[in-house]
Amino acid sequence: MKRNGRVFAIVACALFAFVFMGAEKAKKAAKPKGEPIRAKIGVISIITGAGAGYGEAITNGIKLARDEVNAKGDVLIDLKIEDSSGKQEQALAAAQKLINSEKVVAIIGPTLSNEMMVAGPEANASGVPIMGTSTTAKGITQIGKFVFRNSLPESQAIPASIGKAVKKYNIRKVALLYGNDDVFTKSGFDTMKEVAEKLKLKILAIEEFQKGQADYKAQLTKIASLKPDAVFCSALYNEGGVILAQARKMGLKVPFVGGNGFNSPKVIEIAKGAAEGLIVATPWFADKNDPKVKAFVAKYEKAYGKKPDQFAAQAYDAFYIMTNALKAAGTADRAKLRDALAATRNFHGVLGKFSFDAERDVVMTPNVLIVKGGKFTIFN
Amino acid sequence: MEWLNPYHLQVASFMLINAILGVSIYVTLSTGQLSLGNAGFMGIGAYTAALLSTQHQVPIPVGILAGSLLAGAAGILVGIPALRLSGVYLAIATLGFGEVLRAVLINWESLTGGAVGVAAIPQMGRVILAWAGDRGFSPESLGLQSNQFISLAVFLILLLCTILTVAFFLRLSRSRVGRAYAAIRLDESAASAAGIPVTYYKVLAFSQGALLSGFAGALFAHATSFVSPGDFTYHRAVEILVFAVFGGSEHIFGPVFGAAFLTVVPEALRSISDYRYILYGLLLVLMMVFRPQGVIDPALLRRVRRSGKGTPA
Repeated sequence: MKRNGRVFAIVACALFAFVFMGAEKAKKAAKPKGEPIRAKIGVISIITGAGAGYGEAITNGIKLARDEVNAKGDVLIDLKIEDSSGKQEQALAAAQKLINSEKVVAIIGPTLSNEMMVAGPEANASGVPIMGTSTTAKGITQIGKFVFRNSLPESQAIPASIGKAVKKYNIRKVALLYGNDDVFTKSGFDTMKEVAEKLKLKILAIEEFQKGQADYKAQLTKIASLKPDAVFCSALYNEGGVILAQARKMGLKVPFVGGNGFNSPKVIEIAKGAAEGLIVATPWFADKNDPKVKAFVAKYEKAYGKKPDQFAAQAYDAFYIMTNALKAAGTADRAKLRDALAATRNFHGVLGKFSFDAERDVVMTPNVLIVKGGKFTIFN
Repeated sequence: MEWLNPYHLQVASFMLINAILGVSIYVTLSTGQLSLGNAGFMGIGAYTAALLSTQHQVPIPVGILAGSLLAGAAGILVGIPALRLSGVYLAIATLGFGEVLRAVLINWESLTGGAVGVAAIPQMGRVILAWAGDRGFSPESLGLQSNQFISLAVFLILLLCTILTVAFFLRLSRSRVGRAYAAIRLDESAASAAGIPVTYYKVLAFSQGALLSGFAGALFAHATSFVSPGDFTYHRAVEILVFAVFGGSEHIFGPVFGAAFLTVVPEALRSISDYRYILYGLLLVLMMVFRPQGVIDPALLRRVRRSGKGTPA
């Protein structure tokens, strides 16, 4: 019994220690004012858990941009990075913490559309500009006038890739394959279907799969038997790579047009030679012939030892859009920053020319890429 | 009123919702049944409340009530056949139920919106603020900002719900029903021989647990204003189970404490975000090694009461 008592005491002490650690952090919210505009910007990202790969790229991109901006000296940004673990409750708690404890002027993130659906309304109600860098689902910026995004939604990317592929390969009949339990792949599929119908393509089959599935032979056999001209596939890269490998192995050699989820070097890593001929539309192309892109890629590689992916690039641009708006607003004020952000037009970043439309959504032209010789190249 | 931080209130609100979920698994466990379907029942409650309020403009309390009752009814339906099973078989069957429900939520797109989920669910606090605002009330008269008021309102509602729930089940445990539950948990055949209608009480406990899960789910929907099938996966079921395993499943304060503690830990450890879930896991492992019955057990409660130095948790 004595031992039990001691264990309980230890647990209780640990509990109190945690609580006070939390309280200690919460108190520091002072924000000095000087000649350069000083501002605290919050970041909500996935640092632990299943989507941590995305979160790492995003925070890396933001940190790189922060170092560059702070080095110039006219805006000094204090970043507060919070983890959401990819969970809505955590994203909401993180948003509350940034808004109320850290008193940030704006938030970049969260990573997933689901998380934005929860954190967005809170930021909007509190009058804090919030910008998603990887939230591509429908209805994100419609949450409210403080909600922005610079991630190209599927509804703009997919028509570009399908349009080009249809023209080039004279596609008439298609099969659709998508993951139906993920917001991202589901809304990508909705767009694919819409576009296919608009282009009057014959849809031979619509097949579904679930996240983390390992065997797609049932769906692929059915698709192969219908002999489509192309397969439109909405998947994330882990599933997408496997799908490609299995499709090619069973002799389905037609072009694959993928959603944004396919736009990762990991697809080629997983599918190897089977990835040849995959077509994707993407806001980000690392081998683009643009000095801005080259400089960013070089700096990123030097800092983190690998090439930046789309998520790093979008986050990098988002930070610049945010700080440019801060400069335009002239002061770290949430409402003024919002108005300045909403007025962003023709910003030239690593993703190309970028503007917000009247609904604070993205206006830009995506690159259409095809996998050739084991890497993404421009598709004409 | 600076100290009243919506962030802290938010975490406290999730603690309370999780505490209700903890009680929900405690109730089924108190008859010796291991159910992993609580995430599914929570989903029923959450979706019912969410859809009623977004598509049919039903008042929030009615939606919450309907969600709880529907989850409870589903509990009876699932409970009657499932309770022919026991132990690990029941756990697997209820886990299956949860996954089936998730698949239904994903595929019944016309009703549930599929994987995209239900957005723009009226949030309790904001509705109360709007309602009070129409009657000339402004939170400034209490020295509060509106976001403080919103979070405080949500917190107080949840606190009331949690206290009532815990009080009800504390009272229940000292009633005829509670004693029957305890008898069934200790020895089913002996309880049956003593004239306790075992099936009746088992189904009752099971549907009480389901009703509570649905209640927590409905509150969750109106606290976060967004639900999607991803919220009610087996991860959630296991999380709920861990509340009871960690806190202790022999007394109602066990899961309540477990839920509160395990919600606070990841938040308090935010400063070391890269490692916090490693610590969380380590904590659970240590727990299993040093105190497999959970933090709080009746012996501990008795000791605390006798020494009179305060109450736990």
